[in-house]
Amino acid sequence: MVAVVRAAAGDVTVREYTSQRRAYLTLVLISLFCLIPFFWVVLAAFDPRASQFLQVPQDITFEHFRKVFADESGMRWVLNSVVIVGSATLLTLLFAGFGGYALSRTQAWWKRPLLYAIILVRIVPPPALIVPVYKVMLFLNEWINGVINQLTDNVEMQQQLSRMFSFIDGYLGLILIHCAMQLPLAIWIMKTFFDAIPKDYEEAAALDGASQWQTVRHVLLPLALPGFAAAGLFAFINAWGDFLMPLMFTSSPELQTLPLGMFRAFLRVDAIDYGFLTALAVIYTLPAVIAFAFARKFLTQTFSGGVKG
Amino acid sequence: MSQIELIDIKKNYLGTEIVKGINVTINEGEFAVIVGPSGCGKSTLLRMIAGLEDISSGELRIGGKVMNNVSPDQREIAMVFQSYALYPHMTVAENIGFALTLKKVDKAEITRRVKEAADMLELGHLLDRKPAALSGGQRQRVAIGRAIVKRPKVILFDEPLSNLDAKLRVQMRTELMRLHREFGSTVVYVTHDQVEAMTMAQKIIVLHNGYVSQLGKPMDLYREPDNTFVAQFIGVPKMNLLQGKLQGNNFILQSGHKVTIGGGYGCIGSLQLGVRPEHLTLQPAATQGNWCVDVVERLGVESFIHLHNSEHESVVVRVEGDCEVAINSEVGLKIDASHCYLFDEQGKRLVQQLQATEVDCSRQAS
Repeated sequence: MVAVVRAAAGDVTVREYTSQRRAYLTLVLISLFCLIPFFWVVLAAFDPRASQFLQVPQDITFEHFRKVFADESGMRWVLNSVVIVGSATLLTLLFAGFGGYALSRTQAWWKRPLLYAIILVRIVPPPALIVPVYKVMLFLNEWINGVINQLTDNVEMQQQLSRMFSFIDGYLGLILIHCAMQLPLAIWIMKTFFDAIPKDYEEAAALDGASQWQTVRHVLLPLALPGFAAAGLFAFINAWGDFLMPLMFTSSPELQTLPLGMFRAFLRVDAIDYGFLTALAVIYTLPAVIAFAFARKFLTQTFSGGVKG
Repeated sequence: MSQIELIDIKKNYLGTEIVKGINVTINEGEFAVIVGPSGCGKSTLLRMIAGLEDISSGELRIGGKVMNNVSPDQREIAMVFQSYALYPHMTVAENIGFALTLKKVDKAEITRRVKEAADMLELGHLLDRKPAALSGGQRQRVAIGRAIVKRPKVILFDEPLSNLDAKLRVQMRTELMRLHREFGSTVVYVTHDQVEAMTMAQKIIVLHNGYVSQLGKPMDLYREPDNTFVAQFIGVPKMNLLQGKLQGNNFILQSGHKVTIGGGYGCIGSLQLGVRPEHLTLQPAATQGNWCVDVVERLGVESFIHLHNSEHESVVVRVEGDCEVAINSEVGLKIDASHCYLFDEQGKRLVQQLQATEVDCSRQAS
């Protein structure tokens, strides 16, 4: 292409072409270097003789995956992670949808200060919040356990309810914490998205006889879908990758999530099983990749042509 | 019954009064155009009729019923937005039929009515397309289709043609008039374009600073403006206004030119003389009191010549066909005194009791 455009200046073209080739070669080398850990994880997961070195497996085995699910509680870790992070993402989207819409449409003087206050929560490093959050959760935990104890005398039932609804060492607590951590960014994303949806659509729907719910269902939700996809993807991937909160707020093995399972497998005193760890890493990565693939469809879906700018 | 009555309608927004007491009646089946410059409150007024804005005080009646606190969908009105506001994720057919779908009308009936509206607007072949795949004119038609499919008693238009190019605008104007004839709905149409108002309206309501400056039939407003605002707003190019004084039967311009417009105005002192460009005629240059040619706009069928004089007054003259005048050349000017209007300092029209005569004002006053 360059050669065609610059045919008249032959020397310059050759020099440019060579320097471009050099630049691409450098970039390819850097990319390969960065990709080596990923290659290693994928190859070692299927390698019966997995080690800490990158090597092409001579045989392919699914033994490591079998071990994750059959010998260890891999399935429970996956389910815990999916349930906790999935619920937290849905809850985040629900709140971010309402909050983002309200903040987009209101003209009140406190709008800007509130928006900055929201994002400030995001700026504070999560470890700095652990002690105060733990205090609050502890207080709520005592209260909810009191309520559970009043509801039933059956100890087994109490334990099950406690695992579900406890704020510490319970699903609800982790879901709420993940939701609170992901909400600021999600609200900002949704607010920006709703800003871009003209109010005319809602007014047109009102004149067409749509109720509030019908306007949300038939007009706002479809239009805000790319926003929800973006906010949901960020929330899911951030919460999925979070290690600190499950570590601090869960202790029962039944509540262990994937990152915790991986961490504890790595810390075992006997020899490190690289095959097991890499298989776990592949399993850990897959849902995030699936989430991205799922959100991508909506992310690229833009609606235009409804209003003339 | 779809008569619209606005009784002392006011709108306050954050302590500022935008609409300052509007009293207007729009008769059933009438095509009323609310016209005015930007910020005069015309869109706010329309949105109050639609129910998209609260009415601060006053009473809105549609078909005799007070509608102040009635929700938009209960008012039996439809609105065409300036931005079209077509739902971008729905096809043309879904857009047009959305109101009927919400009302849970039978599917076959929706299809039939959507098709009927689409055929009327020549959209039949576009029903499966999304708005993004339509041209500006087609989108506008879909927006109109969405309004008429509900068979409303009142259709509101908020500057619907302002996003279209000039050629399409002319075409859509005639189509809107045809549609109005066919449907017979009461139409309230907001625009800042006085050409749209003049060509389409049966009644024009001129808004200025939140007040009704004047209302009436288009040609009544053109021929008998109540004030300088209406006089200059209605008609292209706008009416020329010249400062001066009334002395007896003569109006003395600042340049000293004299126009005999007759007496009976019951007012003397500083006044303004209004004369439309078509009532001015170019004359050969005289020895004194000439005008200098600034710009000549040739439109083929007519030409507009912009002139100024030594008193920094400027006027526009309309001439049939082409006009052979050179820029910066000196010309004389004849004012048809029988078509002059007199306004007081506040811009209010002074009514003449006697007939004026035509005079040559390139002659200096004695």
